[in-house]
Amino acid sequence: MNVGRGGALERLVGDLQGARLSRREFVARGLGMGLGLEAVGSLLAACGEREREKPPAAQSADLGPLERELHIYNWSDYIAQDTVANFEREFGVRVTYDTYESNEEMIAKLQAGATGYDIIVPTGYVVPVLVATDLIVPLHRKYLTNWNNLSPIFQNLPTDPGNAHTVPWQWGTSGIAYRRDKVNTAVDSWAVFFDRRLGGKMTMMDDAREVIGAMLRYRGHSLNSVRPAELAQAKQDAIAAKPQLKAYISAPVKGQLVSGDVWVAQLWNGDTVQAQAEEPNVAYVLPKEGCTIWNDSLCIPASARHPRAAHEWMNYILRPEVGAAISRATGYGTPNVDAARLLEHPVTFPTAEELKRLEFPVDLGPDTAAWDQIWTEIKAA
Amino acid sequence: MGLVAVAVLVYAFLHLPILVLVAFSFNASKFSAEWRGFTLEWYHRLLERADVIHGLEISLVVATASTAISAALGTLLALALARHRFLGRRMVEGFLYVPIVTPEIVVGISLLLLFALLRLPLGVATIVIAHVAFSLSFVVIVVRARLEGMDTSLEEAALILGADEITTFRRVTLPQLWPGVVAGALLAFILSFDDFVITSFVAGSGTSTLPIVVYGMARRNVEPSINAISTIILVVTTAVLYVAERSLVRGERSSPISRRSA
Amino acid sequence: MSGARRRLLAWLQRRPAARAWALLGPGMVWLVLFFLLPLVIMAAYSLMPRGTYGGVQPGFTLEHYRRFFDPLYLAILRRTVVWSVGCTVVCLLVGYPVAYLVARAGRWRAVLLFLVVLPFWTSFLVRTFAMIFLLRDGGLVNTVLLRLGLIDAPLTLLYTPFAVLLGLVYGFLPFMILPIYASLEKLDPTLLEAAETLGATPAAGFRRITFPLSLPGVVAGCFLVFIPSMGSFLTADLLGGAKQLMIGNLIQNQFAAARNWPFGSAASFVVTALVLVAVITYLRVREPAADGAR
Repeated sequence: MNVGRGGALERLVGDLQGARLSRREFVARGLGMGLGLEAVGSLLAACGEREREKPPAAQSADLGPLERELHIYNWSDYIAQDTVANFEREFGVRVTYDTYESNEEMIAKLQAGATGYDIIVPTGYVVPVLVATDLIVPLHRKYLTNWNNLSPIFQNLPTDPGNAHTVPWQWGTSGIAYRRDKVNTAVDSWAVFFDRRLGGKMTMMDDAREVIGAMLRYRGHSLNSVRPAELAQAKQDAIAAKPQLKAYISAPVKGQLVSGDVWVAQLWNGDTVQAQAEEPNVAYVLPKEGCTIWNDSLCIPASARHPRAAHEWMNYILRPEVGAAISRATGYGTPNVDAARLLEHPVTFPTAEELKRLEFPVDLGPDTAAWDQIWTEIKAA
Repeated sequence: MGLVAVAVLVYAFLHLPILVLVAFSFNASKFSAEWRGFTLEWYHRLLERADVIHGLEISLVVATASTAISAALGTLLALALARHRFLGRRMVEGFLYVPIVTPEIVVGISLLLLFALLRLPLGVATIVIAHVAFSLSFVVIVVRARLEGMDTSLEEAALILGADEITTFRRVTLPQLWPGVVAGALLAFILSFDDFVITSFVAGSGTSTLPIVVYGMARRNVEPSINAISTIILVVTTAVLYVAERSLVRGERSSPISRRSA
Repeated sequence: MSGARRRLLAWLQRRPAARAWALLGPGMVWLVLFFLLPLVIMAAYSLMPRGTYGGVQPGFTLEHYRRFFDPLYLAILRRTVVWSVGCTVVCLLVGYPVAYLVARAGRWRAVLLFLVVLPFWTSFLVRTFAMIFLLRDGGLVNTVLLRLGLIDAPLTLLYTPFAVLLGLVYGFLPFMILPIYASLEKLDPTLLEAAETLGATPAAGFRRITFPLSLPGVVAGCFLVFIPSMGSFLTADLLGGAKQLMIGNLIQNQFAAARNWPFGSAASFVVTALVLVAVITYLRVREPAADGAR
């Protein structure tokens, strides 16, 4: 940390502890000073430690009787066919189920004041943002009796210490899917995207975090880096890879992988599993330089009108058979250990060795603008 | 005639992807990559996909409501602009072009902000409001194009013969204007039915239109049930429009002011 | 009823301007409330600093507008204009013959019009995916061409500028055909008959009678194609492989991953202003001609 900021930082922390600053202002000022989100998050958590004796009142309060309605806002096609129906039948709750395509779309709606949702499913790196802007509320753990079905990897996420606000839903990795019958060289590194011989047969995702992140990992940097020198190098690499790419395309590339139009694709493991069902020659690899591991989690918006039903839903999907059904349908990993045991083709939890080269993305805060500038330049090249 | 050849090619171009998409609704492959056998599975799946059916319902309701409102308001606007001189006319004209010029995403987000400020709950009403807002200008342009070549002598004759303005409008102007209004209404309907960007911002819980549902499916799982519902829509609209056309034609033939060329 | 009607008509007769505004009223109110007002909010946003998590913070700044006038963004704008002009030209060349034929098709008119519009009753996305299937390396077009022996290796059709143009034209063709049809349909064939009697060739008849009279429709069609194609972004993504940015993609990104709403708003306003200036200029030029044609 920059020594020059030391004094200002001490004052800031002091203000927070003395309740002269709200948590939200602290985050805004801390980021404004140039601290990374993780640093701010750790500081917040550290300050919170002092107050551990008195738990926040909300946690032990009773939520009242089960409501008759529940409004879920989830990613599209991210659930089994009968999960909602079974829940409705068992609990007598009427569920409305809407879908969205991107975290940003969901946040934009919440930030602009859209209410009416009781459950949202943001990706991990978005959670601190939602917490700091008071868009989601802490959970009442006492209603989540199935909590301990979760794997320890997902019980204390860096993006939400102690999982105070989240229940993990699904997780995945962003590696490289390829046709082992078409590509005779070994595919184990991000370097494959510079290979001229495979030109016109490769794709990367249409996602700034994934593409720039991959190029950062390729050079041994963190995929959450905001250092200008590292980002400039990643930009050059991405532009160097671009001529070999057929397109920037995310999940829909599955079809072309199956048909053989595309031989190498940056793709999520869940989508790869679906492609493998139709074309067994599709293989998946976690590049040796490392890649993203991500997870989506259930949260309750502050404007939710049916919190009890929301908690019941969360507890319901923590049941092994329900979690297994969801993963079977989506092809992604379940964070639920017991559920994983019920699956025939589970997305296996990463081994300790693999975990070392997997990294969770975190929110970039004000540096989002710098990343966006680079992504625009890559696209315009 | 070269003209006919060009037209035939254009129609082929317009419909080839449609034929493909219908064919793939019967394909026994999830990714529509190649032909893997005939199946009705995707149609069966549709029955299970309550979200798709519901999306279609909402889309139809929204499109019908917004088309009716746009056609009415748009025709009035076109009449005012084409037939009347008034202060601020140029400004109104220019202003009418702005909705077309503005990117959909801007229209969508700005409306969301407005609804949030007004604390209006998002739902079918907000979608209809948004759709009318962006399709009005289109209707005006189409109807106005029709108006600007229309011969006013018939209307003048009617007025001289003693009909008042409202009667003249109803029995002389409107029948002549009708094809333009219909063209404008068709445009408004398509715009509404197919809209994705703006709707995604102003739809509320439980009111996802079909494009939103389809886009969701397509981003993650390109499943041919999308093709199945599109085929069904095609068949149904063909039937409906066929019936509508029959009644339109019958109406035209009986109107005493139908085109002199007929 | 007729008493009220008489009174209403008498009142309207005394105020010609009121007549106009009665017609304009409902539509204008709608647009002002649900279009202008939101835009004003956006304009305010474009002048405010970016919020840390998206949205805005209180304040005033011109930095977003300044940032837009950078060669990087201007190049994207220029490319978008080129695309849109290209799309409009192709739509005109291809759509006019169709509109002409349909207008003169007698009782087949309704069916032919219907066939023009029918593809658009399916979802834009599904149509685009169908086009992807057609244009892919292993897609229908390539397969047919290979079988016919016209090519040796598959043509790269998808994820090219050609595919994007095709997609844009496909998406906007009815916007060109419908207005031109509406214009042509009321054309009096006796005018052409008269011209023929006076010795004009069909080509001259078209050039000097038909085309000029269809001009309002042509102009309407060109606007209805050019302007929205300036704001499109899905086609460039899906058919162009997201390799090039149109200005629509840039703006969409600002409200999505980049979470830079003020910049997105500023970009939108610049584009909107540009197009509006072009439109108004054209209207100024056209105005005298329209009065003369009556």
